[in-house]
Amino acid sequence: MASLLFVAAAAQEPAELKVLIHERHFYAFPALEQVAREFEAAHPGVRVHVLSSASAAGAHEKTRFMLAGGIPLDVTWIDVTELAAYLAEDVLVDLQPYFDADPGWNPDDYFPQVLDGMRDARRHLYGLPSTFTPYVMYVNETLLAREGLAVPPDWSWEQFHELCRRATRENQWGLELTLWLQPLAPWIWQNGGRFLDEHGRCALDEPAAVEAIAFLHRLVHQEQVARPVPFEGQIQFGLFQAGKAAFYGPVGYWETYRFQSIREFEWDVVPLPRHKEAATAIAMRFYCVPAVSRHPQLAYQFVRALGGDAMQRELARIGNGVPGLKRAAASADFLKPGVAPESEHVFLDVLPAARFLPVLSNWKEIEELTKAEFQDCLLLGKTSPAEACARVAAATNDFLDREADLRRRPFLPGWLFAAALCSGAAALAGALLGALRRRPARLAAREERAAWLFLAPWAAGCALFLAGPAAVSLLLSLSEWSPLRPLSAARWMGLDQYRRLAGDATFQDSVRVTAQYALFAVPLQLIAALGLALLLNRRFRGRNAFRTLFYLPTILSPVVLGAVWRWMLDADDGLFNDALACAGVRGPDWLGDPSWILPAFVLLSLWTVGAQMLVFLAGLQAVPPSLQEAARIDGAGAWRRLWHVTLPAISPLLLLNLVAGIINAFQLFAQPYVMTQGGPGNESRFLALYLYEQGFRFLRMGYASTLAWALFLIVLALTLLVLRSSTRWVHYAGAPR
Amino acid sequence: MNPERGFARWSHRALLLALAAAFVLPFLWLISASLQPEGKALGRGLFAFPDGVHLENYPTALQIMGDPKVLIFNTVVLTLACVLGQLFCCSLAGYAFARLRFRGRDTLFLLVLATMMLPPQVLAIPQFLLFKEFGLIDTFGPLILPTVLGGAPFFIFLFRQYFLTIPHELAEAARMDGCGFFATYWKVMLPLARPVVGTVAVFTFLATWNDFWAPLIYLNSEDKQTLTLALATFNQTYRIAVEWLMAGTAVVLAPCVLVYFLSQKFFLRGVRLSAGKG
Repeated sequence: MASLLFVAAAAQEPAELKVLIHERHFYAFPALEQVAREFEAAHPGVRVHVLSSASAAGAHEKTRFMLAGGIPLDVTWIDVTELAAYLAEDVLVDLQPYFDADPGWNPDDYFPQVLDGMRDARRHLYGLPSTFTPYVMYVNETLLAREGLAVPPDWSWEQFHELCRRATRENQWGLELTLWLQPLAPWIWQNGGRFLDEHGRCALDEPAAVEAIAFLHRLVHQEQVARPVPFEGQIQFGLFQAGKAAFYGPVGYWETYRFQSIREFEWDVVPLPRHKEAATAIAMRFYCVPAVSRHPQLAYQFVRALGGDAMQRELARIGNGVPGLKRAAASADFLKPGVAPESEHVFLDVLPAARFLPVLSNWKEIEELTKAEFQDCLLLGKTSPAEACARVAAATNDFLDREADLRRRPFLPGWLFAAALCSGAAALAGALLGALRRRPARLAAREERAAWLFLAPWAAGCALFLAGPAAVSLLLSLSEWSPLRPLSAARWMGLDQYRRLAGDATFQDSVRVTAQYALFAVPLQLIAALGLALLLNRRFRGRNAFRTLFYLPTILSPVVLGAVWRWMLDADDGLFNDALACAGVRGPDWLGDPSWILPAFVLLSLWTVGAQMLVFLAGLQAVPPSLQEAARIDGAGAWRRLWHVTLPAISPLLLLNLVAGIINAFQLFAQPYVMTQGGPGNESRFLALYLYEQGFRFLRMGYASTLAWALFLIVLALTLLVLRSSTRWVHYAGAPR
Repeated sequence: MNPERGFARWSHRALLLALAAAFVLPFLWLISASLQPEGKALGRGLFAFPDGVHLENYPTALQIMGDPKVLIFNTVVLTLACVLGQLFCCSLAGYAFARLRFRGRDTLFLLVLATMMLPPQVLAIPQFLLFKEFGLIDTFGPLILPTVLGGAPFFIFLFRQYFLTIPHELAEAARMDGCGFFATYWKVMLPLARPVVGTVAVFTFLATWNDFWAPLIYLNSEDKQTLTLALATFNQTYRIAVEWLMAGTAVVLAPCVLVYFLSQKFFLRGVRLSAGKG
């Protein structure tokens, strides 16, 4: 076999394996390092380089960048819902021949349902599981006991419904309902519904699916015994964790880890209640070998090591998820007697009824699209279940058509992108030649040459690092390309990409949300920044300390900001609502209520005006005191001095802050990314976030570029408008002549 | 400044203190959260410790982040290089746009503004491909080069706007004294622009210190990690280790705040000098 030759070759020359894996769990990284060191000991001459950001956020993006750049990568991990996209792009090594040639390989060591998730249409296996989880229900046993209730074995929807009703009272709910597609799937399946019909079209508008959604809709809206999780932000602290919900789910194993810190009540896991048939969904990540690997045989062996006993047991022990290796799942490492939840075996018991969602290329986009529609119905109550299901089906079918259409499009020649990348440098050379050839009058020529020398570093950088990439992105906006592939795999779409904007409801939602945000955030930020700067623009003791303090929030990372903000805006225990309660006002659910989510982001933006404040302060300090003095002697009051002396004097900086504020508002990305991921519905799906999702999550870099240029044009138009008007209100002491 | 009357003075101080409280609260919470036990950082009030104070979060966080010597060295080198690069490129360009006459100046300036509006998310991959062609992956090149060559459009804008507020007479006088274009910029205008130099330096310092995205994408080796990249370790898929993240943040932030606070003396002197001359 060819692979045996590989082994022989690999044994002779030193090889380096590059590994990029981002496990859910914190302590998975040391375990990974351990496996790597053991692998090195067992394979002399091999070095395993575990990329150090492997446990960092953004490893996902990093994988994309490495694959797009053709940077060697030998072992990585992907989510099972992404498999089809990776297969469609042909970027994974088919490991089946390696498994076949491996005498130590026995598929029966693993749960068959789990291995099936990693196979292609030919049933070839592409990897081994890290850990997986079926969706189950979490139960607050203390709460149920207090209400005199208990979960019956093998419970039905009716029994579940009854328990939810009886557990609900003031400030306490029956169910905290998860709302993205994977946890919604079990309800649909259990009612006999399906995602795709026999022709591969979306079947979510069939009665069985609509009924299931209607059941949940009744729990949430008519009976108000369930409260949906508003969004899947990264920073969560929900009803269940606060002891205010009897049930939480459907949700996976990962929460057991998060809930370890609960001391206030006893909790456990139970199978989902069953209806017409038993069903649940599985979430899973698995280790695989990208096609760019230079040592596929060694990489395969490393995948085997990762799926082997030591790593699987360690992952189980630290609580990363359910191990795919049967031995590890049956061990005390996973079952953890004496540690909550008591019933880990539930995760194994429900396996026979567990299924994967249909794996379609670019499932992520369908997932996101359906999530927003279902949130509109179940969370916001904007649409009825029938409407929501019809819209989901229509949107999904639309999407499937577009995918089919994409495969018929012609490829773009790769040299076109190379040319675009170099176009910046070419333009620079052309501009320089043009400038040198013309000879204007002598004095002006000297000034002009000086100006170009002053501008040289900027121009060079602009041409090298900006013009080329911008040209590439312009070209991409007229084509479609997955960042998993080299640029030569891009397909030409032409203006169809821009036409798509007109019919893209998510795009229109995001434009509306972003514009609304900018309308409030930009002027309020200016006022706040100017106010702070004016307060600081006098000499007094402690002034430096105040200035440092006001500037501080801007330097916090979005994740920290998000965590702090999550706490400040909490509906029940948050600082804002506590303060409002002191004033006798009952505060809103800032992050859960769609009408309060934008005000929450505007508030957050006011807290980070430090940079604008510093700019104003620099300007204020340059206003000659003599001007103020003269106005004072003329008898001008404080307001008139501000209006007629100070503001005109700093108006160039006002313009600067205004323009920068508009741009920043339209490019707002990190805060919604960390805090809300766009929810509830599309209410915080800012343009930059949607653009990012298209490019990096849905792997549609072409359409992402289209969105980027649309965003660019919007901001450009606004800026030009502001600049045009600025000649009336901006005064320059040393105006350009 | 003139001595203030009692009421104005006290209302000013009171307002400042109230605002300061609003700004400092989140940091108090940050400290408080960094002392909570594992998994308890969210959902606890300010300085409420029913499970005791967990100082050990600090050593744990530091240990997970990696070798502090390497992290600090890399971060400091990177930050200094970027500050110098940014000041060099942006002050020159800003000056040219504000004070020198050349054909196409206004169009070019619009171009500077336009580059600010390109969403960074979408330029990232083409830029990455470019730096890969240059063989600069896993070096500091992709992080430093764009500041020395190119600079941030916002800072160019800032310098230009500031230079525009300086009266023409000063530059004219320098010209009379026989200064060339560069000497006028270097000896007269740049010293006058100290508040902006300070502002840009502080902005760049903090932005570089806190940048996580570029190091994540471009740096692979262990010996090239930066502090902020190491902080991101606490951000997991399904759970952010909030208490460690807060402890790590406090540690990473402390030198930053200190530098900023101390640099103000220098910064203020510059302001007074320029105000006196103006």
